[in-house]
Amino acid sequence: MNKLQILVVEDDAPVRNLITTTLKAHDYRFTAAVNGNSAIMEAASRNPDIILLDLGLPDMDGVEVIGRIRNWSNVPIIVISARSEDSDKIDALDAGADDYLTKPFSVDELLARLRVTQRRLALMQGSSQQQAVFVNGRLRIDYASGCVYLQEEELHLTPIEYKLLCLLAQNTGKVLTHKFITQSVWGSSWDNDVGSLRVFMATLRKKLEKAPDSPQYIQTHIGIGYRMLKLE
Amino acid sequence: MKKGRLKIFFSYGESSKKTVAMLKAARSAKSQGEDVLVGCIPSNISEEASGLLDGLERLSPMMMGEKEEFDLDLALERKPGLILVDELAHSNGPKSRHRKRYQDVGELLKSGIDVYTTVNVGNIESLHDTVTGITGITTWERIPDSVFDQADQVELIDMEPQELLERLKESDTADSRFTMEQLTALREAALRRCADRVKRLADRQRKNSFHTDEHILVCLSSAPSNAKIIRTASRMARAFGSQFTALFVETPAFGAASLENKQRLRDNQALARQLGAHIEIVYGEDVPYQIAEFARVFGITKIVVGRSTITRRHLFGKMTLTEQLISYVPELDIHIIPDGSADMVYRPQKAGNHGRLAILKNTAKSVGILTGATLLSLGFYRLGFTEANIIMVYILGVLLTSTAASHQIYSLVSSIASVFIFNFLFTHPRFSLSAYETGYPVTFVVMFLTAYITGTFAIRYKEQAGQSAKIAYRTKILFEMAQLLSKAADRQEIINALARQLMKLLNRNILIFENVDGELLGPHMFGTNGAFAFPYDLDGELATAKWVLKNNHAAGATTDTLSHSKYIYLALRVSERVYGVVGIEAQNYPLDVSEHGILLSILGECALALENEKNLREKEAAAVLAEGEQLRANLLRTISHDLRTPLTTILGNASSLMGNGEIFDQETKRQIYSDIYDDAMWLINLVENLLYATRIEEGRMTLHTSTELLSDIVEEAIKHVSRKAKDHRLCVVCDDDLILVKADAKLVVQVIVNIVDNAIKYTMPGTSVEVRARQSGDMAEILIADSGNGISDQEKEQIFDKFYCGIHKIADNRRSLGLGLYLCKAIVEAHGGTIYVRDNKPQGAIFGFTLPLEEVTLYE
Repeated sequence: MNKLQILVVEDDAPVRNLITTTLKAHDYRFTAAVNGNSAIMEAASRNPDIILLDLGLPDMDGVEVIGRIRNWSNVPIIVISARSEDSDKIDALDAGADDYLTKPFSVDELLARLRVTQRRLALMQGSSQQQAVFVNGRLRIDYASGCVYLQEEELHLTPIEYKLLCLLAQNTGKVLTHKFITQSVWGSSWDNDVGSLRVFMATLRKKLEKAPDSPQYIQTHIGIGYRMLKLE
Repeated sequence: MKKGRLKIFFSYGESSKKTVAMLKAARSAKSQGEDVLVGCIPSNISEEASGLLDGLERLSPMMMGEKEEFDLDLALERKPGLILVDELAHSNGPKSRHRKRYQDVGELLKSGIDVYTTVNVGNIESLHDTVTGITGITTWERIPDSVFDQADQVELIDMEPQELLERLKESDTADSRFTMEQLTALREAALRRCADRVKRLADRQRKNSFHTDEHILVCLSSAPSNAKIIRTASRMARAFGSQFTALFVETPAFGAASLENKQRLRDNQALARQLGAHIEIVYGEDVPYQIAEFARVFGITKIVVGRSTITRRHLFGKMTLTEQLISYVPELDIHIIPDGSADMVYRPQKAGNHGRLAILKNTAKSVGILTGATLLSLGFYRLGFTEANIIMVYILGVLLTSTAASHQIYSLVSSIASVFIFNFLFTHPRFSLSAYETGYPVTFVVMFLTAYITGTFAIRYKEQAGQSAKIAYRTKILFEMAQLLSKAADRQEIINALARQLMKLLNRNILIFENVDGELLGPHMFGTNGAFAFPYDLDGELATAKWVLKNNHAAGATTDTLSHSKYIYLALRVSERVYGVVGIEAQNYPLDVSEHGILLSILGECALALENEKNLREKEAAAVLAEGEQLRANLLRTISHDLRTPLTTILGNASSLMGNGEIFDQETKRQIYSDIYDDAMWLINLVENLLYATRIEEGRMTLHTSTELLSDIVEEAIKHVSRKAKDHRLCVVCDDDLILVKADAKLVVQVIVNIVDNAIKYTMPGTSVEVRARQSGDMAEILIADSGNGISDQEKEQIFDKFYCGIHKIADNRRSLGLGLYLCKAIVEAHGGTIYVRDNKPQGAIFGFTLPLEEVTLYE
């Protein structure tokens, strides 16, 4: 089933080898690019399904590569960064990246991110036209009536919680930065909003994941943002 | 920077010959490749000279109204190798930076430009009297002798007086009236001055100090003739090669002297300083006694006084000042300089600042007291008291008048009036100014004398008391300054102390600029009435202050430099190092001579304090740097040792897999893989910690705090450690899911990871580790409890120190760099929390730390 085409952009040969070997072992198809310009060329000519992009490229900044690709493509981009500063990741996410990996990363982590993105792809293809109902595992959102059901039991959400949930649901599989969320929900991005966001997210998660055996719907990326996971 | 060289073309008699010589020298310098610029040359030069100007670059002059002036700034900007500036003694126009051209030249030399200039014999300060004596013409344009003596080269342009006389006749200038004898005398003076300079240079080369045992003292006064005496004394000092001191005795009466006299005293003082004298000021009333005391204490050998001072008035002055001086110090030489204007007696004038109001007030007081005395006496007379009582009442009245009125004249008039009133009212025949009794004239004279002398003493006492109070006040200010400075902890406090004491001393507005790396910071403004808005052109004042900083020389109001400023600016300096600039309001009322002395000592003390403070700061910085270096060296040593071990394992394992991968069985291979994996993980963690540690060392651990859910942080941390904890029971308890903290999440995660890692590392497999997050008072608290062997009390004290690795060496002690807990402590404390360790019950240890809680207003 893993017949996805993946573009690996990485200038460091050992890391590139590690990634391509892993992809080969797990039946992904892939092409590799070693700098920003060839990455953009490859992305345009091969139309890959997912791009794994290193931020520290010799010829241009990774964030710029994202911006260029986003001009004409919505292909999911997973950023790989050796920079430990959160702000770099946030910049990349705000520029249009879907997810991020920090070096050093384990092979398992890489594969997990690929699976998440793959599910997101499937969802994107399925919901190319605006659907009236969103289903994810036991969670069901009925956009028309504005109701949320968990195991067919209606959840009572505050208006803000509902807004947050819809925003996450529409971007399932994608890491949304705090800035993006607060701007979408409150229309502003003050420090105070981040505090509010934490509280609302915590209450929302409590409502969604209250059952002990409940799977995790919302993932917290500390210092970065939140993401809704697509459940099988 | 190398200083420029000054060459003076020196001649007697106004002739263009020295200008011609200067131009010729400039041309030859130019032909040798020198960058020559003609700075300023008078327009009325001879044909010969103007011919020589051809081909030389000329600086365009600055126009000051009708007059052309030398443009110093343009010259400094152009910065030639050599500049020609004619007539060194020229006085600049009123708006120029400096009053005198030789000051301009000084600045040119300072910036490394060589200067050629011309000087006439009459321009030299110490020769002024001689030249005036020869020619009868007073020159106002003069240069200090030091400028002449310190020139690198003086070229004497000499010619026979006969030849000069002919030239002068042709040129038809003011000098053409000179006779042969006058010119010969001028030539002699010029030659002698040159020889003098050469001798001095030779002396200086022979030994550093050319002072003999002689020490000449000249007395400063506000008399117009004093300048001549100072010049004479300086010539003597030079001739003897002796030390030279100028002394001013400030009497109580001097405070009331007129502004004109004060100004003249300042000029005389400046002249004395220019001629190389040390200025000293003593306080006292008995001038000869003070001079004698000073001479005795400082080992003066010769005293120079002028004749005009002899005529100074003294109440019982049978003896003149000179005679008194001789009687006090009979062993000293006393040189009396004849004064051309000696027949015109100079009396220091009192200031006319009493005004009509003061006169009225004093008169009213005197009349009032006199009337009171008269009324009282009339009463006594009625009661039949004797005349002696009445006389006593009048004497008392005069005494009161002396203390109440501000001038001696009132007590004199009162004394006379008292005698007449007494005569008129109380002696027979009454109501007439005649007296029958033969004894009365004696009574009147005695009564007058008694009243007047008593009054005079009272006034003198009052003045002395006033002066002692003033001196005591100044001494107190100096003393307080020293105290304040010794207490001042930083630059700001030193500056505040300085401003406070200066305002106390001078009662004027003060500006203080700090010198921070060559730039002026400020001004700090200190007004006598609290804060004040600077009413003047601040940019202009700032420019003056900057000039002072650059040139390390006083400037501004009442000085010769940039005198259009409203304030006088003095450098806060220790020899060549300027620590700041102090501006003192001085436009309309210059500083007193004695104030100036105390001011300088306060500034000196303050500059010294600033220097000490700076040295201390530099020393501390150096110590911190050294400590940092030491730590870095330790760190590197530890790391390079500890990195090798895991790297060796990884390298060895990988190479054996590459070489003999086939012969290992599955189990061995799995073991090797997991070893590589573990060591790599250990290295990753080490690198993270090292990164944070370097940031702390460099003092740039900036917290990126935001509002975080405590449970999120704990969850994230557990994600990082859960893989290692597979042999331990790790349990997480969050009492409240909605505890919000203000924290840098990444750093706090690192704290939890480090502590939990330690717990796992130092306890037996199979035991449990509990992480608990809760609210505790107004802080959030995170506790990590294990059930291992616990930590001894001795270790608890050291466990958060850097490079502390525990006393029980576990089998592979490479597993600890001693950075983890040190980092935890630094991070928690940077957040404003505390970290601690205590015993767990029944066994084990609990590590805990707190973080500040965050309140959030919800925006629905």
